[in-house]
Amino acid sequence: MRVLHTDPIVASSKGKAHLPEGCRLLMVVGSYGSGKTEISVNLAIQMSEAGRRVQLADLDIVNPYFRSRSARKLMESHGIRVVIPPGAQSYADLPIIVPEIRGMLGPGAGQLSLFDVGGDAVGARLLSSFREPLGDRPYELWQVVNSRRPFTRDEEGCLRMMADIEQASRLRVTGFVANSHLVGETTPEVVCEGARLASRLAERTGVPLRLVCAMGDLEGRQRLAGLDAPMLWMARRMLPPWLRPARSAESRDEPIPAGRPVPIGRPAGAK
Amino acid sequence: MAKVLMKGNEAIGEAAIRAGCIHFFGYPITPQSEVPEYLARRLPEVGGQYVQAESEVAASNMIYGAAGVGMRVLTTSSSPGISLMAEGISYIAASELPVVLVNIMRAGPGLGGILPAQGDYFQATRGTGHGDFQLLVLAPASVQEAVNLVILAFELAEKYLNPVMVIGDGMIGQMMEPVEFPVEGVGPPLDPGDWALTGCEGRERRIVNSLFLDPEACNRHNLKLKAKYERMAENEQRWELYNCDEPYDLLVTAFGMMSRICKTAIDDLKAEGTNVGLFRPISLNPFPYEPCRRVIDRAQRILDVEMSMGQMIYDIQLAAQGRLEIDFHGTAGGVVPSPDEVADKIRESLARIGRSPARKPGKRSAKAAAAQKSKSKRSKKTATAQKPGKRGGKKPQNAGKRSAARQSSARRHGRRSGR
Repeated sequence: MRVLHTDPIVASSKGKAHLPEGCRLLMVVGSYGSGKTEISVNLAIQMSEAGRRVQLADLDIVNPYFRSRSARKLMESHGIRVVIPPGAQSYADLPIIVPEIRGMLGPGAGQLSLFDVGGDAVGARLLSSFREPLGDRPYELWQVVNSRRPFTRDEEGCLRMMADIEQASRLRVTGFVANSHLVGETTPEVVCEGARLASRLAERTGVPLRLVCAMGDLEGRQRLAGLDAPMLWMARRMLPPWLRPARSAESRDEPIPAGRPVPIGRPAGAK
Repeated sequence: MAKVLMKGNEAIGEAAIRAGCIHFFGYPITPQSEVPEYLARRLPEVGGQYVQAESEVAASNMIYGAAGVGMRVLTTSSSPGISLMAEGISYIAASELPVVLVNIMRAGPGLGGILPAQGDYFQATRGTGHGDFQLLVLAPASVQEAVNLVILAFELAEKYLNPVMVIGDGMIGQMMEPVEFPVEGVGPPLDPGDWALTGCEGRERRIVNSLFLDPEACNRHNLKLKAKYERMAENEQRWELYNCDEPYDLLVTAFGMMSRICKTAIDDLKAEGTNVGLFRPISLNPFPYEPCRRVIDRAQRILDVEMSMGQMIYDIQLAAQGRLEIDFHGTAGGVVPSPDEVADKIRESLARIGRSPARKPGKRSAKAAAAQKSKSKRSKKTATAQKPGKRGGKKPQNAGKRSAARQSSARRHGRRSGR
């Protein structure tokens, strides 16, 4: 099988994640609390560091707090263009779509448009307004799966969510992202549980498993070394006000487990 | 049962179901809308009813009716919505019915904003509605505690036949934390006791009423309610002490999420060698005055921190009885103080009693970072939620020992004790 990773966007010294060839528009969807925002912000930063010109649109019109716009300064310091409603409107929970977002649908070469979409089908509904302007331009729509969220604990729940999101957005899910977590109480076992669930979803639907995500400072993360999946090691960017940023994974002494570098364009299990 | 990751609002909804509440009447308002959203999805699964009322005024009267016929019932809202419910809540309290209310507070006054605030402390503890009545008010500081307190709220509402309010700022409703539910399935239905309207065939009729035209009868009714509030004050005080085992010069007071930010600041200062205590009321009404006074007595100054312009501070004043100066730091509008900001205020307060190394917050030391890392473990150890009659771990400190500790602390700072 042809390996689809000629465009290594996340290419930090430890990173193994790649976007599918030619991918310039990536939309991240999933249930509330699946970790869409944390993943979007981390991907944006890692890809920007790898040399892509990244623009991120916070399309969360559902959630009033803890949206990617709260990491705006951080992202801008990494050279990322952050598109959010202007001024005080950015604090509202109103369906405000700024005109620049239409322009982001057709990014140029070397650019990447990242859409951090609101939770559940309610949040994904906004994407349906892009169906016509998008035309037949290629896109990636990744569904983030957290097996520790009440309505996506099993395959049935995730598939229902997938169907609802596809119906609401009038787009097709093109990849699964495993991100099982319990915030600070996440264990490697929880991460593996999510990876297994997402693999089963990939098998059942034919939609590839794109990423397995975990925090770079996850305790006991060596136990993930055997995981046969493309890993996205993240730093916690979306911090609640009572916590402080932990040291980044890179600053740690212990190496991040290498695992097997699997290009993320490849369906899990494909040889 | 495996832990699940839930948004505070969802967890509050699920906790109600576990407590046996399968009837909800309410109206969406940010930042609490996920409670009705979650229950609209879940209640039909457990044979319950979800009704979206036409307004909060209607919702409060619907829970009045449902409770009157012996249903365990919940409504939730956010600040302006609670104001609209005020009339109904007063009627419910007057009619002595058990309901649970949740207020996920947002910025005010007026429409304010949708970000977190704690400006409804007065409303919850002093004047939710008209007339002489009191709510029992519980304030969680985590999603897990919100779950536990919602379940407790139903117990207490039924024990006292009184409305109980669980109050949290918007963050409690919006943040995601891992939770465990102490009970599986749906709790048993409410025992209609000798008060609910269940059809009077074969027994004497009951009346649910808040109208007393005869002044003597209305006075008697108020005296009866007063006696109940006194029982609540005696039995239902809950609070948490943090870092109060070692001697401290400054006591920080905060409730709800603000207390968690204060704990981070206190941990940072501890890593620098400065010990600061924290008092957090869990029951805002009845306020734990006596437990608060006991920790105040061991301090030389108080710093009250709130996401309001200063409301709980009046209860702290009542507890302090003028014995100590109280500094205040507050924000509104959805501005959440950072741990560094609180640490600065603590240093300022310490400086006023000549205790502060008044260090400028620089880059955090490796020690402070390590303290942060092990914080979750330590907080479990040092934090002790308490109830009257369950003071096992807490012994009054030996006076001699204390003064010795003070002297040594004074020596460390090269100053005489200010007492």
